[in-house]
Amino acid sequence: MRERITFVHGAEDAFDPKQLQIQEENSLHIKSLKAAREDRMTASLYELPQELWRVLKQCHELHIRWVSEHAFPSVAPFISTISPGLHVFFTPLKDRSAYRSTLSAAPKGVRGTAQMYITRAENYVDINYDTISQSLVLSAFWHSESASGRWDGQIDNHGGSVKVEVGVLAIEKATQPEELSLGGFLAVLGEDTKPNPTLFSFPSRHHISPSTSGTNYSTAFIQPTGLHPTLRLTLPPSTDPPAPDCALHTYLTLPSSLFPDKYQLSSSNFLASNNLHSIRSLSGEIDLEAPTWAVSKWGSALLLELAPPETRSAQWHADIPLHLRYLRPADGGSTNTSIPWPIVFWACSSDEGTKMNTNPFDRVNLGYDGLFGPRTMFYHLRPTNGGVSLVDELKVPVLDLDESKVRWVESGTVMVVLLGFFWVFWTLGRVVARDFGLGTGSARRKKD
Amino acid sequence: MPSSFFNPTYVFTSAIILRVVLLLYGLLQDKYSPLPYTDIDYFVFTDAARYVSHGYSPYNRETYRYTPLLAWLLVPTAWPGPTWFSFGKVLFALADIVAGWLIVLMLKSPAGGNMRIERALKFASIWLLNPMVATISTRGSSEGLLGVMVVALLWAVLSRRITMAGVLLGLAVHFKIYPFIYGISIVWYLEPSPDDSKRETVSSAKDSSPTSFLQQLKAFITPNRLTLLMSSLTTFSALNIIMYAIYSTPFLTHTFLHHLKRIDHRHNFSPYNTLLHLSSASPRETGLQFESLAFLPQLALSAIFIPLALAKKDLAGTMLAQTFAFVAFNKVCTSQYFLWYTILLPFYLPYSSLLSSPRLGMTAAALWVGTQALWLQQGYELEFLGLSKFIPGLFTAGLAFFAVNCWILGIIVVDIGNKSIGKPATSHNTGGRALKEKNVVR
Repeated sequence: MRERITFVHGAEDAFDPKQLQIQEENSLHIKSLKAAREDRMTASLYELPQELWRVLKQCHELHIRWVSEHAFPSVAPFISTISPGLHVFFTPLKDRSAYRSTLSAAPKGVRGTAQMYITRAENYVDINYDTISQSLVLSAFWHSESASGRWDGQIDNHGGSVKVEVGVLAIEKATQPEELSLGGFLAVLGEDTKPNPTLFSFPSRHHISPSTSGTNYSTAFIQPTGLHPTLRLTLPPSTDPPAPDCALHTYLTLPSSLFPDKYQLSSSNFLASNNLHSIRSLSGEIDLEAPTWAVSKWGSALLLELAPPETRSAQWHADIPLHLRYLRPADGGSTNTSIPWPIVFWACSSDEGTKMNTNPFDRVNLGYDGLFGPRTMFYHLRPTNGGVSLVDELKVPVLDLDESKVRWVESGTVMVVLLGFFWVFWTLGRVVARDFGLGTGSARRKKD
Repeated sequence: MPSSFFNPTYVFTSAIILRVVLLLYGLLQDKYSPLPYTDIDYFVFTDAARYVSHGYSPYNRETYRYTPLLAWLLVPTAWPGPTWFSFGKVLFALADIVAGWLIVLMLKSPAGGNMRIERALKFASIWLLNPMVATISTRGSSEGLLGVMVVALLWAVLSRRITMAGVLLGLAVHFKIYPFIYGISIVWYLEPSPDDSKRETVSSAKDSSPTSFLQQLKAFITPNRLTLLMSSLTTFSALNIIMYAIYSTPFLTHTFLHHLKRIDHRHNFSPYNTLLHLSSASPRETGLQFESLAFLPQLALSAIFIPLALAKKDLAGTMLAQTFAFVAFNKVCTSQYFLWYTILLPFYLPYSSLLSSPRLGMTAAALWVGTQALWLQQGYELEFLGLSKFIPGLFTAGLAFFAVNCWILGIIVVDIGNKSIGKPATSHNTGGRALKEKNVVR
């Protein structure tokens, strides 16, 4: 089992190697360190409890990601973004029958091991497993220490049972545009007696969008939302692509209460009028009619290419039309549904031969990265919301289950339908009766 | 020079110009406005046609719930060039015009009322110059195609082209299921004609009281009725077998089964809507589920009672009453269904008390429009303002609209019922035949 703890401090937060003291053979003391932190624990399959091992054996790939609903600033090299919430990406090893059992068992089995991370993590937690590496990797990220903003305390290697590597790094100026460069100190507990200085560079898939390409965006629903809410992305005036062949995208992760209409999003006039370019991918529950109680999938994921307007003197909007399914009736006539903010990024292609996976902080299988080529670079814009949650609550009108109202529905419908039926039946009856009367009358007259 | 507007050249030119203008306007709106003029269904049809033209199943297109015939018919829309894309709309608009021409033809015919051309054109204009009808076709909705089938069916029956009537009936049912209700009224209507040599057998069978069931049945099964039955069943089965052979299960699922098992939870004009919404979201374990019996009053009226009571008096009027009942009592009801009976109005209105008594007609129209407006207002507040208007708003508005429909249906029934009394102005057709029959008996 290996553990890697990385602190990344800003250039302005001067770091003194004295803040990192290797006190004894197996422990390290941190003093008042202002930095972002990533903990990453790697365990090979045979080191795991049997219960968990059995579950993972059925998976080809399993990626579970939990992202906090609170916005946090980017810290290189931890730049990749995903919408807040729990994301599970799962590929079964064999047949589809394994799908269900594993999917329901996996989070339960993993929970014990991951509990520590999840309860402690501030910003995001990743749990990754794949058959090729045969190892389970847990990682958690904190933008800063939650209470004081500074890290203090002891890190030990559990008596040598875990190999622990600690790094305190800062971002340096990279020589290549696709690269990130980090410099600072590294120490392996039980091996090093003092922190060793280091400087290294690596290509990175994820970058922060430069200021000329727009750094921030915000989202809101256009009011009133009704049953057809429109999600409005507000983007800064300066949105020039970071490189010539880049395109601005947004990736939406939608619960099953909402859906995009792919046909509506195919009309070129409609797309153009909303500063949208085209749908790049749409997967998940895309039924256009069914109510929530008739759909089984978790929701849908939509990758849209945006079309920044030609004249960019002011902020601009991209409006994404969405549609609500009917939600279950409830007392009071309304329910809430939560929609995480989408993410916004530029996707650019990098030079031939760039080896992204040499990045020690590489994060893949985020939902959208697999929809692009393997050498794509992502320049992320950051959500700005003034400290509020990155999950929007939408009030949805539903049928009011208030007993005084609902009890009239069945009896009222039956009564009115029967009255209507008998009214028409009676008029028909009168016609027939008169015909019959007239018919016999004329027949008698004829005989006479 | 024609003295009135209602001469064939003027009416048909106006009808064509109306559609050409709407078509061109639609092209402009589609090109420049984010809100397309073209109906969403038209994209479904044309996408399906594109699949077909590439040798795939039209059911590859989601929400394509129609016969493959429609996709085949629209294959030219998949041909290159933006002009061909409008082929379907032109076809639907053309179907409108042909339907209108058939209406005029029938109203002029002895069987249809012996109207003078001017009067026939006035009533046909209800269809031909109806802006709603023209808009729906030029936006690319296929209802016009069904309209021409129904009118052609009526024309074939009234002009005693029985095999053709059967083929049209089979085709129409294959297209949209509901026209099967017309089968019953046509069979009932097709009693031996005055020229039919077997007529006397039937009338004597009617007069002599102690006849065996077998004899009555024998009298009932006339060659005409048999021809209609065989030709319609053959057409319907042949079409279904061919489609099933080509597209197998998806054809059955989407064209027919979908209509049986759909939930119909989204708000619409149907009186059952709120009940269906409620029971679909929270099914009850016990108790009688009335919503599952909704087809009983609907089919009892539209397929049995109305045809039996009225078909022999006026077939077109009966078909109108049947459609009206079918739509009003349906589990799902949207405004495009209203076209199903609009096409039959020109045959009923000439003798309708809704026209002879303007006050009654105005009241009926005002109530029919008013209750719909009430419902639309509630629907708007739900859809766009997000207010929970299911109960009581949409619920009561839906029931009110239903009640108005039943009242109007009652008026239609009485009007058709009055036809046999033999008021000269109201019964050109059956009255005339009744006279002839008396002569023959004597």
